[in-house]
Amino acid sequence: MNEKTGTFPEPALRLEEISKSLGGRLILDAVSLDLRKGERKVLIGPSGAGKSTLLQCVNCLVLPDRGRIFLKGEELDQSDNRALRLFRRRVGMIFQDFNLFDHLTALGNVGIALQKVRGLPKAEAESRAVEELARVGLEGKASMYPAELSGGQKQRVAIARALAMDPEVILLDEPTSALDPELAGEVLTVIRDLADGGMTMLMATHQMDFALALADEILFMEQGRIIEQGVPSLLLAPGSGTRTLDFCSRLALGAEGRI
Amino acid sequence: MLAYLAAVAGEAPYILSGSLVTLGVVCASLGLGFCMGVPLALAQVYGLPTARRLVAVYTWFFRGTPILVLLYLFHFGLFDALNLNMPALVSACIVLGLASSAYQSQIFRGSLEALPAGQFKAARALGFSSVQSVRHIILPQALRLSLPGWSNEYSILLKDSALVYVLGVPEIMTRAHFVASRTSWHVTYYILAALLYLAITALGLKLLRLLEKKTRLPGYNL
Amino acid sequence: MFKQNLLLLLISFFLFGGTALAAQKTYINGIDANYPPHAYVGKSGQPEGFDVEALDWIALKMGFQVKHQPMDWDAIVASLLAKKIDMVCSGMSITPERQAVVNFSAPYFSVRKVLLVNADKPLSKEEILKGNKILGVQRGTNEAEWLVQNREANGWNYTLRYYDSAPLAIEDLVNRRPDAVAVDSAPANDAIKKGGKDVRIVGEFAEADDFGVAVRKEDEELLRLINEGFKLLMQDPFWQKLQDKYDTQL
Repeated sequence: MNEKTGTFPEPALRLEEISKSLGGRLILDAVSLDLRKGERKVLIGPSGAGKSTLLQCVNCLVLPDRGRIFLKGEELDQSDNRALRLFRRRVGMIFQDFNLFDHLTALGNVGIALQKVRGLPKAEAESRAVEELARVGLEGKASMYPAELSGGQKQRVAIARALAMDPEVILLDEPTSALDPELAGEVLTVIRDLADGGMTMLMATHQMDFALALADEILFMEQGRIIEQGVPSLLLAPGSGTRTLDFCSRLALGAEGRI
Repeated sequence: MLAYLAAVAGEAPYILSGSLVTLGVVCASLGLGFCMGVPLALAQVYGLPTARRLVAVYTWFFRGTPILVLLYLFHFGLFDALNLNMPALVSACIVLGLASSAYQSQIFRGSLEALPAGQFKAARALGFSSVQSVRHIILPQALRLSLPGWSNEYSILLKDSALVYVLGVPEIMTRAHFVASRTSWHVTYYILAALLYLAITALGLKLLRLLEKKTRLPGYNL
Repeated sequence: MFKQNLLLLLISFFLFGGTALAAQKTYINGIDANYPPHAYVGKSGQPEGFDVEALDWIALKMGFQVKHQPMDWDAIVASLLAKKIDMVCSGMSITPERQAVVNFSAPYFSVRKVLLVNADKPLSKEEILKGNKILGVQRGTNEAEWLVQNREANGWNYTLRYYDSAPLAIEDLVNRRPDAVAVDSAPANDAIKKGGKDVRIVGEFAEADDFGVAVRKEDEELLRLINEGFKLLMQDPFWQKLQDKYDTQL
């Protein structure tokens, strides 16, 4: 367990012993973690380690079999649909393959949840959406449909869409791994800006250099468990002999860092 | 020859006005089929196992039974047993509508299943309820995808509508048959009926093509 | 927009169909509109014919309203029993089978059953019945039933081919698909005289049929009205006029 001393009174997000099996295979094995306000933690590990499932369990897009979830000290009742919807509004999610709504413009993508979920009037939702698009540098693309945008632009719209809901925590599931390296840059810049703004984040990524620059703490996952965790400088210190260091050096040798 | 044409021209308005009945039957049936097909498809894709099984039985029954059999079965059997004295026109619309709902549900189901799962996930991640996700995110996309298949259903239903002549509904086919019986010029009036069906098919498909064009999204091809 | 207009149209169909004249009781008469000259749909789209006019006359005399509803002959008894219609006055032969489920009025018309062949074909009645011929007939009719039931006993060997209506059977005879057709004398005459079809009558078969008006068993009052009505009609000069107009005498 990660027991930091109490500069923060309570974690913004806490997971306790989350377990999940899919098709008879144990994907998550009693994973626990704390995320304090403004803290940025990065999940790394080989494919199939359970990073993506863990992120989707946080806001119950995938319901955990066991385990408890707390947001600002309040436990989430996972069986209460209304509570789940309120919880999800407070926890933003960025997907690997963007998942923009294909029938809506960039503006519509950012605005629709404001209107339908938060109940803002149309005009207000739109002006807020315009603001959020500007924040990710897409003020000129408001009327474009997803199919007309590049991958990087799509992911930035997705980030604007999540930010428009004023989330307290953002979950990022490999936000750049579906992008060519030259497009990943613009997305990473936006994420870095968010981090600088003090956003609480939990991110799964394969971009090691980015993870190192951003993370307060690295969580190394393998076979459904967090097997190592700590500040990057310690975990990756030369000669530390950690699994994390071993994984990262093999990643650096492999082509383009994808495993 | 001139007398022949004049005679045909004299009979044509009666058969022609049958196309209004045909159109009425087709539109009412398509409408009923749509209103029932969408929920059926949703139940089959997102519903509980029991709901799925029920929809499967429903579509199996209505797709597996000939329209002609259904018409007799409902008009003279079921509606009668329920003490509903349905006019033939209403019976015809209901039977064709139910049959069409079975076919339409399968068109919509295909579209729903073709949508990436991420669309639903993304909506729920933003706090949409399941119903809201379906209404605002899933259906607008699925219905667009369904349009080509739906156009096909229109032309099939139009042709099936000729079968309702067995109930005496005065549509194109019934009227052509009446006039043919009186004048003994069978082929002439069946040709006229065929031309009418062709014209209505062409018109409807043209309108649906326009609708398809109007709702097409820039760059969107799934 | 488009759909709405059509819906409106549909609704107006119901309305027009439903605006019956008030006060007098309205009965619906189911007819086989493909059975000229007894019942058919005229140029205006309105039902016409010998039986239609006769019943209209009776309705007027006996004080009720009548609406003629064209429908499929196959389903006409089912429609009567299902109360979709109230009677069938449309050249319906009185048969024991039908009498088991409905009541008939007194006979008002007698019709002979005839065999038709192409005018240029030298076929005799014997050859049609015993010469392995294809014989066309209207589905669901008394003559069809008779031809099936008497086939074996008489050593006849024709193959029956079924049609939707008598005119359609005659049309197919003109196309030379069946070798002969078996129909009532009424539509046969109509096709020859009015339709100008190149066919001829080679002979009669079975016994003459009597036409009666069919009503549901429980509708005794209606049956009484019709029986009385026909009695009056047959004493009236209009009866002869009708027969002349529709050329029903052979």
